[in-house]
Amino acid sequence: MSQHKKTIDFGFSEVPLEEKVKKVKGVFDSVADNYDVMNDVMSLGIHRLWKRHTIELSGIRPGNAVLDLAGGTGDLTKEFAKRVGKTGRVVLADINESMVRVGRDRLINQGIAGNVDYTITNAEALGFPDNTFDLATIAFGLRNVTNKDKALEELYRVLKPGGQLMVLEFSKVTQPLLAKAYDFYSFNILPKMGKLIADDEASYQYLAESIRMHPDQETLKQMMLDAGFDKADYLNMSEGIVALHRGWKY
Amino acid sequence: MILSQVFEFALNQAVRLDEQQGQVFQPLNDKVIALQLNDLNTTLYILFTDYGISVQNTLQGEADAKIETTLTDLLAFAQTGLLKHATYQTDEALAETFVNALGSVEIDWEEHLSHYTGDLIAFKIGHAARSMMQSKTAVKQQIGDTLKEYLQFELNALPTHSQVQRFGKQVLQTQKDVEALENRIDALSQQLSQQPASPSK
Ligand SMILES: C[S@@+](CC[C@H](N)C(=O)[O-])C[C@H]1O[C@@H](n2cnc3c(N)ncnc32)[C@H](O)[C@@H]1O
Repeated sequence: MSQHKKTIDFGFSEVPLEEKVKKVKGVFDSVADNYDVMNDVMSLGIHRLWKRHTIELSGIRPGNAVLDLAGGTGDLTKEFAKRVGKTGRVVLADINESMVRVGRDRLINQGIAGNVDYTITNAEALGFPDNTFDLATIAFGLRNVTNKDKALEELYRVLKPGGQLMVLEFSKVTQPLLAKAYDFYSFNILPKMGKLIADDEASYQYLAESIRMHPDQETLKQMMLDAGFDKADYLNMSEGIVALHRGWKY
Repeated sequence: MILSQVFEFALNQAVRLDEQQGQVFQPLNDKVIALQLNDLNTTLYILFTDYGISVQNTLQGEADAKIETTLTDLLAFAQTGLLKHATYQTDEALAETFVNALGSVEIDWEEHLSHYTGDLIAFKIGHAARSMMQSKTAVKQQIGDTLKEYLQFELNALPTHSQVQRFGKQVLQTQKDVEALENRIDALSQQLSQQPASPSK
């Protein structure tokens, strides 16, 4: 390899490719325990509504096989597990062991067991056969993935024909005034709250920056089509603070 | 709460409070019932699993059985035990099992529906509000004051032009508030950093 290493955005600071994976892992290692609390505080609890809406639109049913990629502490996995029942299966896959551990303990405490598998996986190389899942989700995870195109191709591969991918992610705010206020919130307030609650300003600074660097609605839709999806669309929630992208494999 | 959540909560609570722990729903395990409520222009899909009952407004594929009725009739059913206008489709026997099970547990719909706030924040409110509006007169006459109240609430939720302008102002105000909050956090952080470092972490 030459001197010129490929660099990639780590938030706004450009870092070599291979370091990004390490950095992302570090970020989530340091927030794992406080993740749920921070999530509530940061989004003022609205992330629950975004997730509920995602679940409603999934159209999931008993017996389905679901992949919750970058599943973290398992918010979506829990709801999916209840809906697919014991005849179905949900796989929570995440690159970060501490997040998965916190998630598994939490779900078992809540009586969810028997139809959930937990696995440590990088989104860019999924260890599942082709045509495995009826539904795949990646919620607030894609923006952390280094090679997003590869991850989308992998998600397409593991979906059954007729299956659906749902990507829930921070996106581009459509209302200009709100966009300004939201930016201010993300860059000035969020990292400070991170410091106060989790004593971890850098991680939340990263979260704010990675939100800004994430592709906007139309770009992500095109990326999904390029990755092989036969149809893709999206839906803005909360004026585009978050967008839900859906892709279908026919 | 949105309508599917109201139903989900109501049904699960009924099962919890039931003397037989909702045994009557047992034959529905791993099945999906579609409940089409014509007066609300809405279909709810009710999923039964070992974990309990889940309700959602979308379903991939067909439900195992479908019941077409109205919210009005459903509310009357809870009081009289008679579901007046309803048709059963697909697996009719299964639909009947569901209706009988529903009739045998106690559900205070008025109380539950009072928590229905419509699809306010992250949800698209327009569609729900419009379909409510179309059926406004019919619903108003037939269902009690409770439903009237939150129907109005839902209609009020659609913003007018001046409300949108006010929203813009509020966003600016929020920005100011956020700045104030920032100063507050700065002050707090300063206080914190002046205290001796805590041993945790
Ligand atoms: C913000 S959390 C979201 C968790 C959960 N989906 C939720 O909505 O609450 C992002 C998660 O993505 C995971 N992640 C980051 N990069 C990943 C990758 N390349 N492959 C798989 N998971 C990844 C992190 O470990 C973290 O748990």
